[in-house]
Amino acid sequence: MKVKIGLEVHQQMATERKMYCDCPTNYQDVPPNTNVCPICTGMPGSKPLPPNERAVEAAIEIALMVGCKVLTCQTIYIQRKHYDYPDLPSGYQRTSLPIAKNGKLYGVRIREVHLEEDPGQYDPTAGTVDYNRSGVPLVEIVTEPDMKSPEEARKFLRTLTRLLEYTGKVRPEAGGAMRTDVNISLEGGGRVEVKNINSVKGAYRALKYEIIRQRERLRRGGAVVRETRAYLESQMVTVPMRAKETEEDYRYIPDPDIFPLILDKVRVDAVKAKMVEAPHLREARLVKQYRIPKASANVIVSERELADLYEAVAREVDPKLAATWFRTKLKKVLNYMKLSAADIKFTPTQLASLLGMVKRKRVTPEQGELVLREMVKEPADPEKLLLRLGLIPLKKSELLAAVAGAIKENPNAVKDYRAGRKEALNFLAGKVMKLTRGRADPREVSKLLRLKLKK
Amino acid sequence: MGRGTLEKLATIRRGELSAVENVQRALERIGKQNKKINAFIELNPKALAEADAIDRMLKQGEHVGKLAGLTIGVKSNINVEGLRATCASRTLENYVSTYDAEVVKRIRAGGGVIIGMNNMDEFACGSSGETSAFGPTANPAAPGRIPGGSSSGPAAAIAAGFCDLCIGSDTGGSIRNPASHCGVVGVKPTYGLVPRQGLIDLGMSLDQIGPIAHDVSGAALMLETIAGKNPNECVMLNVEKVTYADKLDDGLKGMRIGVSPNFAELTDPALMRVVDGAVEKLRDLGAEIIEVELPNIEKALSAYYLIVSVEFFSATRKFDGRKYGRRIEEVCGEEVLRRILRGKYISQKEYRGKYYQRALQVRTLIKQELMAALQRTDVIVGPTVPKLPHRIGEKISVSAMYAYDYLTIPANLAGICGGVIKAGEVNGIPVGLQVQGKVLGELEMLRVMWALEAAA
Repeated sequence: MKVKIGLEVHQQMATERKMYCDCPTNYQDVPPNTNVCPICTGMPGSKPLPPNERAVEAAIEIALMVGCKVLTCQTIYIQRKHYDYPDLPSGYQRTSLPIAKNGKLYGVRIREVHLEEDPGQYDPTAGTVDYNRSGVPLVEIVTEPDMKSPEEARKFLRTLTRLLEYTGKVRPEAGGAMRTDVNISLEGGGRVEVKNINSVKGAYRALKYEIIRQRERLRRGGAVVRETRAYLESQMVTVPMRAKETEEDYRYIPDPDIFPLILDKVRVDAVKAKMVEAPHLREARLVKQYRIPKASANVIVSERELADLYEAVAREVDPKLAATWFRTKLKKVLNYMKLSAADIKFTPTQLASLLGMVKRKRVTPEQGELVLREMVKEPADPEKLLLRLGLIPLKKSELLAAVAGAIKENPNAVKDYRAGRKEALNFLAGKVMKLTRGRADPREVSKLLRLKLKK
Repeated sequence: MGRGTLEKLATIRRGELSAVENVQRALERIGKQNKKINAFIELNPKALAEADAIDRMLKQGEHVGKLAGLTIGVKSNINVEGLRATCASRTLENYVSTYDAEVVKRIRAGGGVIIGMNNMDEFACGSSGETSAFGPTANPAAPGRIPGGSSSGPAAAIAAGFCDLCIGSDTGGSIRNPASHCGVVGVKPTYGLVPRQGLIDLGMSLDQIGPIAHDVSGAALMLETIAGKNPNECVMLNVEKVTYADKLDDGLKGMRIGVSPNFAELTDPALMRVVDGAVEKLRDLGAEIIEVELPNIEKALSAYYLIVSVEFFSATRKFDGRKYGRRIEEVCGEEVLRRILRGKYISQKEYRGKYYQRALQVRTLIKQELMAALQRTDVIVGPTVPKLPHRIGEKISVSAMYAYDYLTIPANLAGICGGVIKAGEVNGIPVGLQVQGKVLGELEMLRVMWALEAAA
C-alpha cells in the first residue's frame, strides 16, 4: 500500500533575544515568568519591536541550507494567526509568509520556510502559564509529501537535525527545541495530520501507529477522513483533536504593527558568503578534495567541529591516514569518553604531529591510540605524552636483538615453523613483544621473524 | 483658564504661577465640576508631588521641557504607569498599567504633569461619548448635547477648563469629532509620526495619538513633544525632531487651500454656512482657494468599518478573560461587541476576498484621490462632522451614529494629518473647521489653523 508522508518541522533558533522584544531566550535556565516584558506577555498597548535581525538571518541561512530559493525583493507579510489558548498571550501567533521556497534535501522536496514565534508554556494540571518561552524565534520547514515510510521520515528528520545543528543557529534538539507535525496518507484514505510531536523518535512512533490504524480501518472497509490528531507521547498513540480545533479558521491578517519583510539580494548574498557548508555538500567535497572514502567523509562531517579539525589536520599530514584515524580511533576515543567534537581541546597541530609519528613508524598505531586517549584527556605535545606514558620508542637495534634473542631461546618453535607450522610464528612474535615490553610494532616483528627464519 | 497656553507657560517659567498651584487649581475645578461633566474617570494621586518636583527644578534653574508645569489629561486607552487604562470598559476595569506609553514618557520628560485619565467611548468605539462603562461625558460648550467621541473626555476636559492639554487617539475621527463639537483644537497627526507604543489598539493601521488643546499653539507644543521616531517601534516614519510652535505666524500668503464640492453633498447646510464663512476669512488672509474633486469620499465610511472591525477583532483576542478577569465579549457594550462580531465574521477565510480585500482596495482609492488633491494644494479645508451633535440619551440608529465619521475617516485611511479649529457656531453649538494636510504636512496645517484663530 502506498504511503505518503510530509513534515512540518518547527525549530527554535539560538538567538540571544526574542523575536519581537529584547528579552533573553534562555527560558529553561530561569524561574518562570522572569524573561518577560509587556511585549512578550501581550500587555494592552504593547507594540512589537522590529523583527530580530539575527533571527531573520538565521532563517535565511537555514533556508539556504535546505536548498531553498530565498524570496528576495518582494513583500513578505508577518501574519497574525488567531487561536485561543492559554499559552498565547495576545490570542494570535505571528508567522511570516514563506521567506523561501522550493528546496531539496536528500531527495525530499522542501516546499517552504517560514519565520515564527514560540508561544508560552501552559501546564494544564497546575493551570499555570510560563511566558519565558513566548516570543522565542522559530523557523518552520515544510516538506512535500515525499517520504514513503516511517523509516524514511526518521532518516530525513535525523539528517535535518544534523544539518540544523551544523549551522550553529538553532537550539539543540534535546529539550523540545524541535517540534514536528506529520502529514500521512495511505492510498485510498484522507490526509491525517498529527501534531504535538517533539522528538524524532516520537515522529517515527506516531507514523508507525498511524499506518497500522489507517490500514486496519481501510481493510475493514472504513474510511480514513481528513483530520488532525494529537500524539500522546506517554501512550505512544494518536487521538483525534477536538472537532473545534480541527475546524478552526485562523483568520490570518497581515500584522498592522510590523512592516512586511523585504529581503534584498545583497543581504542574502552576505549570509551565503558567511554561512557554513552544508554537511552533505562538505562530504562530497572532502571525498573529492582529499581522495578519501565516502564512509570516512560521512563520519567526519557528522559534527561541524570534527570536520573543521579534520581539514586542519589534513593540511599537515597524509589526508587518507588522517581520515582513517578520524573514522576509527578518534571517533572511538570520543565515544568511549562520551565527548563530542566540540569538547576537543587539543590543537590540530598536536594531532597532526601524532599522525606524523605514526606515518614515520616512530610509534605503532596501538601506541598512537594510547597517546590520543591521553591527548583528549590532557592536551599536550605527543612527544611529551609518549614520555609520560613510558612509551620510549624502540630502536632498530633493540628490535633486531629481541628478534635474535627469541629465535635463539626457542629452538623448538623455530623447528616447528620451519616444518611448516605457521602458528609457531605467532608464538615467537609474542616472545619478541615481551622482550620489547610491547613497544614493537607486531606487523614489523612478524616481517622480521619471517625474514630471519627463511635464512 | 482663559489664557493662552504659551502665556501660561511663560508665567510658570517666570515663577508667577507655580506648577503646584496650577495643578491645585485644576484639581479644584475638576472636584467642583467633574461630577457633571464626567471628563475624568481617574485622577493621578501623585500629580501634586510631580508638580512639586517640576517647581524645584525650575527654582534651581535646571532645564525643564516645553510643557513645564502644564496639566495634562490622558485618554484612558493610553498607558500611564500606576493608573488604570480601562478603555472605559468593564473588560479592563481593574487593569493598572505596568508601564508608561512612549508619548507619556515624552510628556513627563517635557515637564508636563499628568493629572488623570479621561473618559471616552468604550475601547474608542463610538462617536458620541455615550458608550463609556463609566457613564456618558457631557459637552461643556453645548449643554445637553453629546461632546462627540471617542475622545469625549479629553475634549470636554479642555472645554471645561479642567487642564491645559490632553492627549487622545484618532482612528476615524476620534480627536477631531469631539474637538469640533466642544469647540476646542484637536490634531490627528500623520500616521507614523507619533509613537503608538502604549496605546491600546482599535485599528492598528489607522490609530494615531494626538493633542487636544485650548489653542493652536498648545496643540503645536504637545505635538512637537510627542512626535518623532521611536526606535523601538516598527511602523513609524523616519522623522527625528520637529518644531512647529515657533513657525506658526508666517501668514497665509501663497498658501493653496483646497475646498471640495463633495463635502457639501454630505453636510448639513447650516454647518456648511459656517465652514464657508471660514473659507472666506482664509481667502481674505491671503490664501489661494482651489476647488478639488473628491468623488469617492463617501465610500470611505463602509471601507473603514470593515477594516477597523477586522483589526479590532484581532486586537481584542488578548482580552480572553484569563489575564484581566473578564472576557471582552461577556462584559462589553453593544457597539464594541458589534465590531468584534463583524470583524470575526468578515475575516473568515471564505469571505476574505469579499469584504476585507475589497475594503483595502477602496482604501487605496481614497488615498490616491486625496494625494492627488494635495498635489495641487497645501491643505484641504472643510467641515469636520456632517451634522450637529444630538442630545445626550437620544436614540439614534447605528448608521446615523456612523455617519458622524463620514468626513474624518478619509484622513485616517490615507494616513494624512487633520486638525480642527473652531470656525463658528450654529444655535450656540460649536462648529469646527477641519484642515487636512499632506503626509507630514503638520506645519502648513497648523499655520492655517493659527491664522484662523488669530483672525477670530
